[in-house]
Amino acid sequence: MYLNPIVKKDIMVQSRSMKICWGIFVYELVLALVFFLAMSIIQGNSRYSTGNIYSAMVWLYPVLAITQLIILGLVVPVKTASSISGEKERQTFDIMMTTGMSPISVILGKVMTAIVQGMFFVVASMPVMALPFIIGGMSWAYLFWFLGIALLVSLFSASIGILCSSLCKKSISAVILSYVFYLIFFLGTVVPPVVVAVVAENLRYTLGSIPQPFEVYGDNIYLCLLLNPAVYLAEFFARVMAGESLTNNMGSFAGQTKAQGPIALMTTGYWWFISATILFVGISFLFLYFASKRINPIRGGRRRASHAVKNRH
Amino acid sequence: MAVCMAMRKRGCNRMLQISNLYKSYGKFQAVSNLTLHIPKGDLFGFVGPNGAGKTTTIRMVCGLMLPNSGYIAINGIDALANQKEIKRQLGYVPDFFGVYDNLKVREYMDFYGSMYRMHSREIRRISDDLLELVNLSDKKEAFVDTLSRGMKQRLCVARALIHNPALLVLDEPNSGLDPRARVEMKELLQNLRGMGKTIVISSHILSELSEMCNSIGIMNHGSLVAAGRIEDVMEGVFGNNQLVITLEEGHETAIRIINECTRVKVDSVGEHEIRLSHNMTKPEIARMVGAMIAGGVVVTGFHKQEGDLETLFMRVTGDGR
Repeated sequence: MYLNPIVKKDIMVQSRSMKICWGIFVYELVLALVFFLAMSIIQGNSRYSTGNIYSAMVWLYPVLAITQLIILGLVVPVKTASSISGEKERQTFDIMMTTGMSPISVILGKVMTAIVQGMFFVVASMPVMALPFIIGGMSWAYLFWFLGIALLVSLFSASIGILCSSLCKKSISAVILSYVFYLIFFLGTVVPPVVVAVVAENLRYTLGSIPQPFEVYGDNIYLCLLLNPAVYLAEFFARVMAGESLTNNMGSFAGQTKAQGPIALMTTGYWWFISATILFVGISFLFLYFASKRINPIRGGRRRASHAVKNRH
Repeated sequence: MAVCMAMRKRGCNRMLQISNLYKSYGKFQAVSNLTLHIPKGDLFGFVGPNGAGKTTTIRMVCGLMLPNSGYIAINGIDALANQKEIKRQLGYVPDFFGVYDNLKVREYMDFYGSMYRMHSREIRRISDDLLELVNLSDKKEAFVDTLSRGMKQRLCVARALIHNPALLVLDEPNSGLDPRARVEMKELLQNLRGMGKTIVISSHILSELSEMCNSIGIMNHGSLVAAGRIEDVMEGVFGNNQLVITLEEGHETAIRIINECTRVKVDSVGEHEIRLSHNMTKPEIARMVGAMIAGGVVVTGFHKQEGDLETLFMRVTGDGR
């Protein structure tokens, strides 16, 4: 079986370093602290209620899962942001570009390394994560759902890190740019719906009503939130923990009537979750594609060559 | 048709063909109208002052930079149109390169071998041979970052050869090496040439290049000012008409005989030598020297005055006298 040489080499090199041991130690320590904190809160709440403490243990699932996803989201871009710029700083990039590996193979190797490393941490935490399932009586399927979400978070954050790494010459600039991308996704996607909601409220206040097209179609601005990772995760945990959707009621702020257009479809059933998943995977691969184009030192070479051949003729 | 066939045949004998290559950085013209052909099996020395465009040219040849215009072919394959195939034809050793921490020499070779999708058994066999060639067999289990600079440089050459490329390009391979490492590198390159590899090497150390290379190209201000076999370039620059006659006694007789010849002029007279500029054939030179000996001049020897690469370099780059 062919294994991308970059994955093989990077994992071998990094597993020889003490960094990975310390990384897993700190990761497990943070999880343990969060676990004990959550347990003490659950136990404290159970004193004043007649509920069963064991059934309350299910709340460990979102707490531990969100903690892990936050750590992954913060750590993976830092690790991947130095993947290309680190090769340039180490002066190994030029050699890599003259070998038989294509730029896209290099990028895929780097992203796979980041995902595998992320999964090291997630899998190492499985015994702790299994507690809500054993004691709290949750469906085991949610454990695998969590693995899927962790995989998606790793892919998405790795693709941001690698794109930034291909754009910047220095690793530190790439790390900073990665967090700027995060800001755009987390906060930038919230701005348009907030602006529309404020404008709608002002119109309603000044005119007494909202103009018809604005009222009917204005709600589609909420589709921006499809790109918001926080909304995506909130939707996932709301469905898992409460069996409800957060997005099904979306769009009721701006208009009094039911929204029309794509938002109407997206806010029914599982469409929001499915569409957002597809979007995040798509954006990740788009970022990886741009990164591969960016690192190709002779991008457009084939096109120029064909022009040159035409000119010669 | 015959001309076409001949040209194609000549093209087949060329390992590297560069035609009308241009590259600029903004307004600065780094490479201008560069045309160069390097035959198979040559050890080609690429020389020029800093900023002459050597590294830019090498980077364009290696597919690390796109030219503004021009044509590059390696072993008859268009380098811009067939990037994937070109990577198989080429081994590149950059002037500065880093190594990965926590990676052993054997693993380093494995890593680069697998980048060419070579089978692990094949990589092991070839890397054993190459490490022996570069005299690093006993360092297989050593970590790469613990090697000396000279060893790293030799390892980098072995790495560049892992996929058996037709053309090996080295950019300043001797920079920062101690004299012993330089000698080892020179021997290694000569061995590789003996194995039939075509090697392009850029260097500032002209004396070493003149010992190693059989052909050279001199760049200045982005243009190729001289290229070809070293003897041909020397002859083109210095001419083939300078003769040194060494003698013990009979200077006056020797000068009289020289002055009797029509196509010769005395440049300088030393204690034991006379330097001449001439336009004579070889038999005429032999007759002149014979006349000197017959006239009682004690001639101890005579030879064509050879230029050295440093003088040649200074002259063609415009700083020579």
